[in-house]
Amino acid sequence: MTDSSQSSDQFKEMHSFMAMLQNLDVGLVVLDREYKIQLWNNFMESHSGLHPYEVREQVLFDAFPEINRDWFCHKAESVFQLNTRAFTTWEQRPYLFKFKNYRPITGSAQFMYQNITIIPLDSSVGVVEKIGIIVYDVTDVAVNRIELNAVNNELKRLSRTDKLTGLYNRGYWEDCLAKEFKRAQRTEQVSTLVMFDIDHFKKVNDKYGHPAGDAAIKNTADLLIMNMRETDVAGRYGGEEYTVLLIGTTAEQSMTFVERLRKSIEDSVVQYQDQKFKYTVSLGVAELTKNIKSHSEWIESADQALYQSKENGRNCATIYK
Amino acid sequence: MNQSVSVSITEDQRDCYQEISNVAMGQAADLLARLLGVKVILPIPVVNLIEVNELRMALSGIENSDTVSGVCQGFIGNAISGEALLIFNDTSFSDISSLLQYKGVLDAALELELLMDVANILIGACLRGIGEQLDVNFSQGHPVVLGQHVNLNDLLKSDNYRWTKTLAIEINYKIEGYDINCDLLILFTEDAIDVLNRKVDYLLED
Repeated sequence: MTDSSQSSDQFKEMHSFMAMLQNLDVGLVVLDREYKIQLWNNFMESHSGLHPYEVREQVLFDAFPEINRDWFCHKAESVFQLNTRAFTTWEQRPYLFKFKNYRPITGSAQFMYQNITIIPLDSSVGVVEKIGIIVYDVTDVAVNRIELNAVNNELKRLSRTDKLTGLYNRGYWEDCLAKEFKRAQRTEQVSTLVMFDIDHFKKVNDKYGHPAGDAAIKNTADLLIMNMRETDVAGRYGGEEYTVLLIGTTAEQSMTFVERLRKSIEDSVVQYQDQKFKYTVSLGVAELTKNIKSHSEWIESADQALYQSKENGRNCATIYK
Repeated sequence: MNQSVSVSITEDQRDCYQEISNVAMGQAADLLARLLGVKVILPIPVVNLIEVNELRMALSGIENSDTVSGVCQGFIGNAISGEALLIFNDTSFSDISSLLQYKGVLDAALELELLMDVANILIGACLRGIGEQLDVNFSQGHPVVLGQHVNLNDLLKSDNYRWTKTLAIEINYKIEGYDINCDLLILFTEDAIDVLNRKVDYLLED
């Protein structure tokens, strides 16, 4: 075999090898030490719309201003300096190159989610002179994961929420109370628990019907949400029973809120179909003291104060002593 | 066919794995030290053949009560396959962020960056170190985030393991003067242990 036919064979082999790389459905980019683009395969050309001759010898960040230079250099420098690979996932940044979704019609994502691998390309002397970037399209995986998380979060929210009022349900609210009890004990911060219920609720139901009773329950919850602070934790404890946890508030301080709530409920008018009616609530207030040994004792204290309000003629509030 | 039902390692083999891990871990620690400009305390790697459902116990460096964040990365070479797990104690993040000179608020996104940065260095260097000594070139899959701020038991849900036994190398990294605690676990699958043992025996012959 002559020298020329040997080199022609090598050239053919090289050519088919390059064709494979070109057609690989994965993005391949080679950068030199100054981040100038040296190689740009077909995937990159198709998705960016830029020909290899347009980007060759261009600094990556000039050609693609959307790339966060600091972030990318942070990763790439460790590849240059330490001669190890670096991986980034779509969870860190959705993409390196802002490309369109490969399925522009049926895909729900606006852009292509990408996983990136940066590999060191060392010269014969062991110094990393170039790096290779491999861009993987992981849009389907990412979209599925994001949707799964959204569904899980919605399920979590639903499992915590009382459907009629939108307040926390009893189970979740009690978990919050138990947590706050432990926290307050440790930090010795003040905290106050308010329990209240609708006066003569059975009569409302009997006189106007259960749907009207539901309207009163909903109205009470709405007024509660309107009057409480964002940091307060409110729940529907039972049928017509409500609870609010006022964090960082003494019983005395909470009376401003309690009175405002009582008054706004007393003043409100519930309209259900063509019936209009008014109702009141009774409230019990219990500040967390050293004598209270568990969160259920705390509930009991507030409940006793609530009972006292009922004894005192209803439509009023009592502080547990 | 010589299908061994139960895999095992001899004391000599264990010593050899320990030595290989020592070298690989040292290389990884050296890279980490160079990147961060700090002194990395070199621990003694622990090599054990364990049941996969005992994985939790292999993580001796992490307390039960702590919340952790972790990534895992699969690798394979010469039919030797396994996974590398990097588990961070959540209290480590503020110190790691100052070391890696990241600016900005330390939120879940930044913590993920830190976790991935350290995982890239430690897992990559360790695998290369082990591979060089055993004459294996490991391919690495893409790392996967196992979870952030979760209980260790939730991170290692064990209801779906196909392998019963695993060769586990545990390396607990600490950095001098900082509150940084992370556990690197290199796990080899049961069917890889035979191949590994043969490679190690070859080294022991010399």
